[in-house]
Amino acid sequence: VIPLYGFLEGDTVGLLVLASEEDSIEELGRRLSASASVRVRPKRDLVVLHDGRVLPNGWTVRDAGLTALDRIDVVSRAREERSHSS
Amino acid sequence: VLKRDDWLDLARKLDWEFSYVSEDQVYPEVQSGRPSLPHAAWRDWDEPYRTSYGEYVAQQYTKDLSVFAVREAVGKADDLARLPAGWINALKLHSATLPLAEFAAVVGNLRAARFGRDSAWRTMATLGALDELRHTQIPLLLMHELVRRDIQFDWTHKFYHSNNWVAIAARHLTDELLLTSSAIEFAIATNFVFETGFTNLQFIGLSALAHGVGDAMFEKMVGSIQSDEARHSQIGPPVLAVVAKHDRAYAQYLLDKWFWRSWLLFAIVTGFSMDYLTPIEGRSRSFKEFVEEWVIDQYLRTIEDYGLERPWYWDIFLESLDHYHHMVYASAYTYRASVWFDFVLPGPRERAWLQQKYPRSWGAFEPIWDSITERWRETAPGNDFAVHGTAIVTFCDLCQLVLSNGTPQKNSATTLDREGRRYIFCSAPCRWIFEKEPERYANHKDVVKRVLAGEAPANLIALVRRYFGLDYDSWGKDAYRGVYPWLARSKP
Repeated sequence: VIPLYGFLEGDTVGLLVLASEEDSIEELGRRLSASASVRVRPKRDLVVLHDGRVLPNGWTVRDAGLTALDRIDVVSRAREERSHSS
Repeated sequence: VLKRDDWLDLARKLDWEFSYVSEDQVYPEVQSGRPSLPHAAWRDWDEPYRTSYGEYVAQQYTKDLSVFAVREAVGKADDLARLPAGWINALKLHSATLPLAEFAAVVGNLRAARFGRDSAWRTMATLGALDELRHTQIPLLLMHELVRRDIQFDWTHKFYHSNNWVAIAARHLTDELLLTSSAIEFAIATNFVFETGFTNLQFIGLSALAHGVGDAMFEKMVGSIQSDEARHSQIGPPVLAVVAKHDRAYAQYLLDKWFWRSWLLFAIVTGFSMDYLTPIEGRSRSFKEFVEEWVIDQYLRTIEDYGLERPWYWDIFLESLDHYHHMVYASAYTYRASVWFDFVLPGPRERAWLQQKYPRSWGAFEPIWDSITERWRETAPGNDFAVHGTAIVTFCDLCQLVLSNGTPQKNSATTLDREGRRYIFCSAPCRWIFEKEPERYANHKDVVKRVLAGEAPANLIALVRRYFGLDYDSWGKDAYRGVYPWLARSKP
């Protein structure tokens, strides 16, 4: 198990996300969103950021090179594109 | 017979030159603090109260009689029933976090009573130690009466002896601030920053709110405590003046470090009480307005008098003033079973008030309360766990509080790799404090690291029960069990 610090856009607190190397990045985003759903209504089309770069949804945790206690941010694709264009 | 004022200087200024030991041996830096200066540098130390022991005892006796008279009149368990539910929970938050911290402050004061560098300072610190003993005993006595009505008041005594996450954070702060700091650091951190700036929020601001909700007992108690704090906090300024003169950079560092650490504690303890737990009819001003008056204006004016500057993170602090306690309250509301007091769900009137008081930031919190409220609409009254988080939340490696700094759009948590370990901090100031003295903080484990090390359970319910020391009767719930006149349920 790889413990990660997860931060969902719109939420008020970071959550611990327990991942395995085989989990997809998309699954990681969904899991964090579900964990925070009492405070943040689940949204579609989320992207996962690590060290400021977008991780492709089809990658696994291993592909992305995530290691224990890395920080990931889960944000809406629209926001990410806005910040990229500005 | 000497007149009182002539006698007092003789009695307070009892320093002498040592002949067979050095000053360094009598006042070692590890206990007295730095900079290590000859006594000549401290000779003019003075404070405005200039109280003798006899006067102190007479004054305190009168104050105690007054507190006990109010207790007899309105301080019984049945009187509690007349108070609003939210306010009662503000009392539980106050009672758990402060009285035993005051007991730790007895130790800090006694260290200064021995190792303070001037005899007038040592005299004042002796009276300060007696003050803090009083500030421990009075709330322990008053709140004990309330345990028979509400078991959560048991945490007045239990809190600091538990591994509850708030207690871990509070101990991390108070162990350093009150138990282990040198006499000089204690004077600047506790007497100057903590007591001059921040306790005014709790003891004057909250006293005003107690008056507003009709809690005469709490109003009397904190008013009486504040009159002691106002006296012994005066140890701080003359110590700061000497340190600022001889080692300005160190004085600035102590101010900046303890301002931030004090801010985080009071943002939660006082911020929750003022902006969420006090009924709207009893509120006179917002937490932010109290901070602006009691902390910002006064603090900045005072440090400028000593040629010192506002902290480097001032803009971060101002941003935090608009967001931090709102971030933590929404988080804690949805993890209320992890603490020992109940929470109030802000309704339309409360949210309109918060919008008016926090026009710059409140909009970001509206969707969060919409979501929580919506969840309650779909949930039967009292089914708290349907409106509750289940994942483990994360904690700062410096302040040990939840990673809730920044804004909902951008959490300001930041990581650091050091000697093969990864650390995470809620904010740039917490990281800065850690990096200034890493050997002091590096080995302390936050709750997540304890879970990962197998020292605490990973399952939230097990964590709450077995590690945080709570059970169904004592853990936090919605104060009204999710039943509010304005909240219509979608299912009967």
